[in-house]
Amino acid sequence: MDTPMVAMLLAWGLVVGMDLVSVGQVMANRPLVAGSVAGLILGDPVSGMMVGVILELFALEVLPLGASRYPDYGLGAIAGAATASGSPGILGIGLGIGVALLVAWLGEVSMSAVRRFNSSDVRRRRERLDRGDVGTITRVHLRGLLRDAIRAVGLAAAGLLLAQLARRWSPVDLETAVLVTIVAIGIALATAVHAAVRLSGGGRGVGWLATGIVAGTLWVVLL
Amino acid sequence: MLAAAVRLFTVQGSWSYERLQGIGAAVAIEPLLRDLPGGVGGEAYRRAMGRAAKFFNTHPYLAGLALGAVAKAEHAGVDGEQIERLRSILKGPLGSVGDRLVWVGALPVASAIGVVLVALGHPLLGVLSFLGVFNTVHLGIRFWGLGTGWRLGMAVGRALSSPAFTAAMRYAGPSAALAVGFALPVAGVWLTAAFGLNDKIGVAAVVVVGAVFAKWLAPRLGAARFGLLAIVLALLGGAIWP
Repeated sequence: MDTPMVAMLLAWGLVVGMDLVSVGQVMANRPLVAGSVAGLILGDPVSGMMVGVILELFALEVLPLGASRYPDYGLGAIAGAATASGSPGILGIGLGIGVALLVAWLGEVSMSAVRRFNSSDVRRRRERLDRGDVGTITRVHLRGLLRDAIRAVGLAAAGLLLAQLARRWSPVDLETAVLVTIVAIGIALATAVHAAVRLSGGGRGVGWLATGIVAGTLWVVLL
Repeated sequence: MLAAAVRLFTVQGSWSYERLQGIGAAVAIEPLLRDLPGGVGGEAYRRAMGRAAKFFNTHPYLAGLALGAVAKAEHAGVDGEQIERLRSILKGPLGSVGDRLVWVGALPVASAIGVVLVALGHPLLGVLSFLGVFNTVHLGIRFWGLGTGWRLGMAVGRALSSPAFTAAMRYAGPSAALAVGFALPVAGVWLTAAFGLNDKIGVAAVVVVGAVFAKWLAPRLGAARFGLLAIVLALLGGAIWP
């Protein structure tokens, strides 16, 4: 990876990381988008797309309700695409998903840290906030955005570093690489089934899910 | 109104355990409060901003409905306590409607469409369709919400009882289940296209075993940690197996 490529990935990481909660939520953070664009930047769109689709299956489980915390699959997808890019065939995909899931989990932890810093900021300025001091309100908000921007870029950089480490010093041989990829794809599909059952709400919803699975199976068999 | 709509995109930018979206809500509503009697810095403006910055949490896309209504109520000179009650009453229903429509309905449907198109060999169309389908719903809800809240003020509850909302809520879950169900075999075949028969059987076995463990472990660990655990076990297995 050369410097302009790293700079572009970090810039994309900023957009993706902030889209998770703080700015927009236009779903640039979804791995399908984040991984695909990262693959294009890395010059290996197929690996980026595969990492994106596999993580998208994991991400179906996320229901960002209320104060819940959830993994940052978008930044994970960037790190995963960086790990898998350039590997022959699909051999880098399993390891890429491993790095991606680790970064996604770190994203969840780092988001919690940002929220704690924001809380402390709010506590220190409670009186002025309650008085409706617009300057204080605006500054607290901007500091919150800045913290998340630092989190996004920092985690994107950590993800790229992990990707480089995994690519250079990975002890994975050919058979293990295939095994890890098989497990990554299988577990992604299994968690997606679990998420789909939950989304269906049970009862007749499970019938709709079964109908979808039958229709999809017929599609791939017949067409 | 446009400034408030743009600021609403950052309503969760300063999310804290103290006030959740409260600070972001105040920043978003601020442009709508500048015309209060006394102008910026006046007593009415400061009191309204103080109320706006208090604890608030709802679905981020529907926050505009509540904030538009609150801003209208401030302009109508409604009593402060009543305005705080309005904010409090709206949080729960807007949260549950938004969760059902967006996170349970629109997002999985858009995601499934994107995955299917990518798997069928249309990567660019897949990504753009995902973003297009999802954000049509997303942006529609955001702009409709702010405008409707501002129009209806204290009567904003009427907006939530519309037949369109009720129908959308009813069909959100089943639509998502159908779409994701269709996407799963299509994605599975695409992801394993490079594998031989034995490897494909291996993936199928992992899906079956994984689905059983997912039911037990995924709710406790979350999918990311559950997947990471499986990959670490596979790496260890590969290292130990002769």
